[in-house]
Amino acid sequence: MTDASVPANGTPHEVLAGLGELTRKVRAAQRGTWFPLLLLGALTLGGILVSRLTYRMLTVPCPDPGGCTLVRQGSPLYWPIGLGLAYLATAVFYVRRARRRGVGTAVRPYVLTGIALLAVVAATSLWVTRHGMPQPGEPLDLWGLHLDPASPATRFVARLTGGALAVGLPLLVLARVERSRALLLLAVLYLAVELLPPGTGWAGIAITSPWAFLPQYALPGAVLLLGALGFALAERTRGRAA
Amino acid sequence: MTNDQPAQHPVTAQHPVTAQHPATAQHPVTALDDVVHQRVRLGILTVAHQARRVEFGFLRTALGLTAGNLSQHLTVLEKAGLIAVEKGYEGRRARTWLTLTPDGDRALRAEVAQLKRLIHEFEQEGPAPAS
Repeated sequence: MTDASVPANGTPHEVLAGLGELTRKVRAAQRGTWFPLLLLGALTLGGILVSRLTYRMLTVPCPDPGGCTLVRQGSPLYWPIGLGLAYLATAVFYVRRARRRGVGTAVRPYVLTGIALLAVVAATSLWVTRHGMPQPGEPLDLWGLHLDPASPATRFVARLTGGALAVGLPLLVLARVERSRALLLLAVLYLAVELLPPGTGWAGIAITSPWAFLPQYALPGAVLLLGALGFALAERTRGRAA
Repeated sequence: MTNDQPAQHPVTAQHPVTAQHPATAQHPVTALDDVVHQRVRLGILTVAHQARRVEFGFLRTALGLTAGNLSQHLTVLEKAGLIAVEKGYEGRRARTWLTLTPDGDRALRAEVAQLKRLIHEFEQEGPAPAS
C-alpha cells in the first residue's frame, strides 16, 4: 500500500477512495491472466504444426475439365481437445492460486463460457465433417444452411466459428470479470486479427502451400503470447512493489 | 483499536462521521449503520464483496491489522449476520475463510450509497458563508 493512498483525514470522499483502493488490491490478487493467454497462445501456434502434419493435396473431379485441387489440413480433434484441456487447466490454476493467496476467484464465468462456446464450435465442425466437405462448386452445408463457400459472408462465418468464438469471446468475459481494460483491448485485438479476412497468398504464401495456415495461426498466437508476457511482467512488477 | 499498527489501510483509520446529532435527523449521516460504518468493518465487507471468499491472513495483510483486532471485528460482523465464517484445514494449516452473506451485501451497498449521497449533499451545499 503506498502512502499516497492514505487520506489526510476521513471525509466520505476519502473513505470511498480508500475502499476503491482496497477493491483494486483484491482484484490484482485475483488476476492470473497470463496463464490462460500462455496456454491459448501455445495452442494456437501448435495449430501450425498440426496443419503442416495433416496436409493433404488431392485432385478431385469438378466441372473444370482439368480437375480441381483440394487441400485438406488440420485435425477435427485438435481444437476441441486442446481448448477443453486449456480451460480445465485454467480453472485448476485459478482455484489453486485462490487457495494459496487466500482470496476467492471469479474465473468460473470465463471457463463456463469457454467450454460452452467450444461445444458450439466443435458441434459445427462435426456437422460440416459429417455432411461432407464441399466439393468445388458445391454449397457448404452448415446446420442445414447451404452456403456458397466462396462468398465473403460464408468465409466470415467460417472465421467466426473458430478461434473468435471459442477463444476471443471468452476472453471478453474474462476481461469483464477481472475488470481489466488491458485484457479488453487485447481481446478486441485478438478478435480483429481472427475476423479480418487474411486474403489469399498472404505474406507470399500460396493457398495450396502446406504453410498456408501459418499467418492464420501465427498472428493470433503471437498476440496471445505477447499478451501473456505483458501480463506476467505487470504482475511481477506489482508483486515487487507491494 | 490499538495504536501500534505500522501500516494501516485508509479504511482502518477512525472516521469522524459516526456520531448522530438530533439536528441532523433527515441528513444521510443518520442512515449510516454503525456496525457497517466502522472503517475496519467497512474494509472487511469491501474485500469480502470483491473476493467472494477471503482468508483471514489475506484480510489481515490487506487491512494492516493485528490478528486480535481483526478477530474482534469479524466477531461483530458475524454476530450481526453480515458475514459467514468457515474454519477448516488446508493440509496441516488451519485456515479461516469468510464470505459475505446476502444481508452483508445489502448492508455494504446501502452504506456506499449513503456515503455517495453524503458527498452529493456536501457538494450541493457548498462552503458555509463567512460570518
